[in-house]
Parts: sequence; structure tokens; C-alpha cells
Amino acid sequence: MTLTPNSIDQLREQLPKAKVVEAMDLSAIGDLIEHVPEDMTATAQAGMTLGDFQTQLAQQNQWLPVDPPCPANRSIGALLAGNASGPRRFGFGTVRDWLIGIAVVLPDGRLVRNGGKVVKNVAGFDLCKLFIGSRGTLGVIVEATFKLLPKPEAEVFLKKECASFDDAEQSLEQLWGSDLQPHVLDLHRLNGQPVNFVAGFAGARADVESQAKAARKLGLQSEANLDYDATFRPTAHVTESVAPADTINHLRSMTDCDFVARAGNGIMYVRHHHPENFKGGIGVDLASGPPALQTRIKNIFDPKGILSTL
Amino acid sequence: MGQTNLIHELQTIVGAEAVLSAEEELLVYECDAYTLEKNLPTAVVLPRTTDEVVAIVKLCNQLKLPIIPRGAGTSLSGTVLAVDGGVMIALTRMNRVLNVDARNRRALVEAGCVNAWITRDAASHGLFFAPDPSSQSACTIGGNVATNSGGPHTLKNGVTTNHVLGYEMVLPDGTVEWLGIEPDGGEEVDGYDLRGAAIGCEGMFGVVTRVLVRLMKTPPAFKTFLGIFESVDDASQTVSEIIRAGIVPGALEMMDQLITQAVEEAYHFGFPLDAGAVLIVELDGLPDGIKAQGKQVEKICHQNNAREVRVAKDDTERAAIWKCRKRAFGAIGRLSPNYVTQDGVVPRSKLPEIMRFIRATSEKHDLRIPNVFHAGDGNIHPLILYDERKPGETKRALAAGHDILEKCIALGGSVTGEHGIGAEKIDFMPKQFSEDDLAAMKMLRRAFDPAQRCNPHKMFPGGKRCAEFAPRKQAHA
Repeated sequence: MTLTPNSIDQLREQLPKAKVVEAMDLSAIGDLIEHVPEDMTATAQAGMTLGDFQTQLAQQNQWLPVDPPCPANRSIGALLAGNASGPRRFGFGTVRDWLIGIAVVLPDGRLVRNGGKVVKNVAGFDLCKLFIGSRGTLGVIVEATFKLLPKPEAEVFLKKECASFDDAEQSLEQLWGSDLQPHVLDLHRLNGQPVNFVAGFAGARADVESQAKAARKLGLQSEANLDYDATFRPTAHVTESVAPADTINHLRSMTDCDFVARAGNGIMYVRHHHPENFKGGIGVDLASGPPALQTRIKNIFDPKGILSTL
Repeated sequence: MGQTNLIHELQTIVGAEAVLSAEEELLVYECDAYTLEKNLPTAVVLPRTTDEVVAIVKLCNQLKLPIIPRGAGTSLSGTVLAVDGGVMIALTRMNRVLNVDARNRRALVEAGCVNAWITRDAASHGLFFAPDPSSQSACTIGGNVATNSGGPHTLKNGVTTNHVLGYEMVLPDGTVEWLGIEPDGGEEVDGYDLRGAAIGCEGMFGVVTRVLVRLMKTPPAFKTFLGIFESVDDASQTVSEIIRAGIVPGALEMMDQLITQAVEEAYHFGFPLDAGAVLIVELDGLPDGIKAQGKQVEKICHQNNAREVRVAKDDTERAAIWKCRKRAFGAIGRLSPNYVTQDGVVPRSKLPEIMRFIRATSEKHDLRIPNVFHAGDGNIHPLILYDERKPGETKRALAAGHDILEKCIALGGSVTGEHGIGAEKIDFMPKQFSEDDLAAMKMLRRAFDPAQRCNPHKMFPGGKRCAEFAPRKQAHA
């Protein structure tokens, strides 16, 4: 069944009574609870979209430094459930690094808080981490508090159209070994185009300008934007993940595909033109079943199996 | 099985020289840097391999004995106190840096590896390990994982959980799990983020044996300011305004007059003895941006009545400033025979208020309370000075600490930013969290340690307390 609660209290009543919840619509639980610019923290309910949240924060020239695709349609709850990220992940990490407190409704209806509103806090176990990326299988996140950053004074993206993977590798390694501090390091090959190497710089204007100049000298001559990520990732693809140094070799081994790759993180979003010819990708090895510890956690938090399985 | 048999079995696993059981050998292990409660473990074992740890844990299971994982014992909250005896597994002999993978900016180390050794070995690659607790020349990475350690430079870079990618843990049932990112693996890991969920578990989920850490590139430039202020109020206000201005310094630390005087007497840096407070503001990054932000920092300091803003002239002077800051606790011996420190956190805009409250608390309990702390994070470290030989002073010191922590909660903060709950702050857990909040934490613990035998009687109310035990009386198996 689909749950469409009007309030947290209603969710607390509905959830224990539900047999199996297939979908959850929290759009009615979507308020900005508070934004405290002087503390650089903000609290929002899970139904609020990431786009609306960022718009509110931007009024005080602050932001939550995560940039997954489709912020206008992505709720804070969905952002957390999937630990979603975008191109700026190389510079800013994922939402896991910015969440400092949550409120969760457990399948039995209990409302549980963890963490808090301060940026440094080790009181008790870190359930924030347990719930981030748990895809709604352990409880329903209804509220989240984040630490924020000031919006960068300047931001620039540059790209190089590479003649080959060797060419791309050379540019990447040069940038990697330099003193520059890119916050985006992407490779993409889309719609039969050559491999593009994209680097981004953000921060104080003087730093961004001097880094852009240095990057141009490394061959990243053209201005770019990140639209490729927003366009490509909502379409069907698989996610591959390797150690960062192995990215280019992994891409080389896949000839018949389009991709967007986080070269600094070793993460690749890949669309195989003939997926039947391709074996691999990350994913749970279903033959051996999920690890015992994961199963124990699921069974303890959701003993009746009301929420979906991991 | 009696005491003798236990020792014999442990010796069979690790060899005779790696088992401590005589009272005089165990004394070192009766407490950590939180010394108000003490109790001896039944035995201390010093394994050299994960296999040995597994065998020890399985033996403890058979005998239903508590397991207490321990690093260097620098915890300030009694996290490694053997409340009910048991076998203490000290990881200090598993202390190697196994591999520095410079291209992937990762290092694989054993749990007993000292925090500072990682940066020492990574520095030649232009890399460093960010979490830098003041105890970093002694504390171990396993302890950092257990307590999610912070440090002065975690304001910008984040704490241990942001820099530990994965680790091997021997669970209380003796199974070995790798949690998080594998040494040669990708960042995307299937399933729940158990790595994150178990960082900061205070040794209650298992024994960490190997750790994969993230290394960062050493910033090309630093600029370290010393803001000299007439009053703590002015310095606190400066901190709030620097944060509000959107500046994210690498570190933003405060020392009040009593601390500055003690540090000066001990280390002769040249701190002014008559200043109300000294702020250390360190910017790191690229030279141009630092220059621009440095001007802003100086301006904000002067707007808040700074008497003087000094800049460290070179790396040597910068290193000297940090040496003073990190050894500040060590200088306290000059002020008082005993002290107890707290590490509450408040929202950063509440710093001026909590500092005023600490001053009032000092007067109320007639005890000196110097402060040296991570101002940029809102993480206070009041050092409550007392003399245990004077009747009633210990009690007053504890009461002052309680007042301060309760105020932190009232201001929307937390009772601990980096030291942990341990044995010390158990009573505050029900004040900061609801019964259901605590129940959810215990649910997670149950998945890792259903029998609650790993570092028992910590964090949650209702367990045994050392006060109920005669000090230095050895528990028997």
C-alpha cells in the first residue's frame, strides 16, 4: 500500500497498522523547521524538496553542498534514503558528511531522534549513518538537520575534449598531482561524442581565477557546465564503483557504452548499448543473501516486515 | 574456569609475555585519562594479529567474560574502564602502517597505529590524515574510530567518521567483518552504512583490528593568526562573526587568560599574560583566497576590540603555536593538583552565552575554570580545577561540570563533542535523549552484540558503576 500521511503524528498511527508499505508520499510533511544562518545549520521535514530547501538557504547565501540530479523533484527524505550525490561529490562528499541530526518514525510508530543541532556531537551511537542510504527499510526519516556552507564566491567549470583515453588519463593525472583543488573531476562520453574531461573550481574568487588559469594551461580550454549529469543520470544506467585510480582502465574496458564518471571518486554511471553482452556492475550477490549483520539489523528495526527489504 | 586457567588459555593464544595478570601489571589499565573511577580488568592481552583477537574473543564467549577493547587509554570519559573486570584487549602491539596508497589517497593501518604516525608516513606524498586530537602523538586510530575523535582541525575537514573509509572488526561472536570501503575497492558499498553506524560506538560493537583511512592533500598555504582580546566575551563574539561571515577556517581555537598564563609559563611562546583571551585562527588553502579571507578575519577581530592581531611568521612559529595549544592540558598541572574537563557543545551563536555561564559557575562553586577549546565548532573544554585533598572540592568540581553540561543541553547542544559518554556521562544520556531515542540506539547494539558483553556498563543508565566496587579490587573470572 501507499501511505500519504498529513502529519508526523498520522504517520505514527498509520505505519504500525500497515501490512506492507510499498510507497510513501511525505509531501504533506515538508516544512522548513528552521534555518539558523549564524550557526550555519538548518532543519527541514523530509517531504520538502531539495530544490525548495536550497532556495530558502540561498536567501542567506548558504547551501547544503550536495547536488544530485532533479533537486526540484527530489525530497530531502529521498536524498537521505539513497545517499544521492552529484558531480560536486569530489569536493564536498555526500549528504552523509553534512547530516547532523534526524527524526525517524520506526515501523512500530515510535518517533526517534538522533544526533542534534550542533556540528560536533558524539553523544550516543550514530544512527544518522545507519538511516542514510538505508532506502527506507528501517524506518521513515521525517526530519533532518544539516550543517551548511557559505555559497562559494565563484565557481567555474572547464573541459577538454580528449583524443583518447590515454589523452584523458594524462590530463587527469596532471591535475591530480598538481596543487589545484578541484571540486569536480568528471569524465563523460555521451551520444557518440569523444571523451570529455571536466574539472570544476569553487571558492574565493581569486582562487577560482588562478586555478582556472592553471587548468587552461593543462589543456582544459573550454567553458563547461554540469548539464550532462542532470540529463544523463535520470535515464536508465548502471552504477560501477572502483578505487579512484582504476577509473580510466575500467572505462577503457567498456567499449560499447555511454558514461558519466566521477574520476576523483571511481564512480561510473554507465549505459551499455547492449547490456546483454555485459556482465559486472555492483550489486548484492543474491546467491549468498545479504550479510548476517545486515539481516539482524533489518529484523530488529522492522520485525514485522512492514517496510521494504534492502 | 578459574583465574589461573583463564590466564593459561590466554597465554596459549598469544604467548606468556603478551598476557598481563599480576596486580602491579594491571594497575596501568585500571583507568584511562578519566581518573575519577577505577577498576582492574581480570587480565590484559596484547595480541599481534586479527586471528589472535578472534581466538581471545571466542574464549571470552565461552567463559561469558566481558571484552574491553583498548588503544592507548587516552580517553577522557572512562570509555575503556573495566567496570566489571573482564579481558582487556589492548591493540597497542598491532600498530603498523600497512600501506600508504598515495594515488588513491588512502592508508591501511592496524588499529593500534598511533594517529600521528599516519601523517608522518603520508607526508612525503604531500598527504595527511585530517583528524588531529590533541592526544594524537599517543592515541590510536582504533580509539579514534571507537570515539569518533575530533581535534582542532576538524572544523573545516570533519571528524573521524568523515575520514575513515572502512575497517575490519571482530564482532563479539568472533566473526570478522569488513565494514565499509575495501582497501582496493570503490566508494559505493552495498547495504547499510555499518562503517558509519559503528564509528563512535565506544568499543561496544566489537574490536577494530585494521582501518582504511582517507588521506587529504596538504594545503599549499597556511596563515595562522593570534587574536589578542581583553575579554572572553569579545573573543566569543569574534568567533560567531567569523562563522557568520561565511569564513570556514581550518581551525578556530580559544584560550582564556588562565590557560594562556599556564601555557606561557610552561612553553615560553610569548603569549601576553594580561590578555583576557587569545584566539587562534588558522586559514588553509590557496594563497590568494587566504590573503583575502585573512583581511576579513583581521577586520572582524579589530571590530570586536582585539588589542592586537599577530600572524605566525613561518612554519616554525605556526608549529610552536599548535604545540602550545595541543599541550595546553599538560600545563594545567602548574595551576592545580587535579582537574576534570568537560566537552559540551553549543550552537556556535551561543558561545558568548555559555562562556558567561561558565564564569558564573566558577563563582558559584568557588573553583577556577580555565577554558581552552574548539571555538569554531562550539565545542567547549572547561577545565574545572580542584584539589582532592581539600574536603568537598571534588564534589564541587563534579557539580560545576554537571551545571555546565545541563546548560549545554538547555542551549540546544550536546554533552559531548568528541570525548564520548563512556562511564563518565551516563547520567546525561536520559537528559539529552528520550527513552525511545535510547531504545533505538540499543537496538543497533543488539545487532552487533546481543549478549552486551563488549565493553559493558557504558553509555546507558542501568548498568553497574565503579562506585559500587572497592577500588583496585580485582574481579575474578
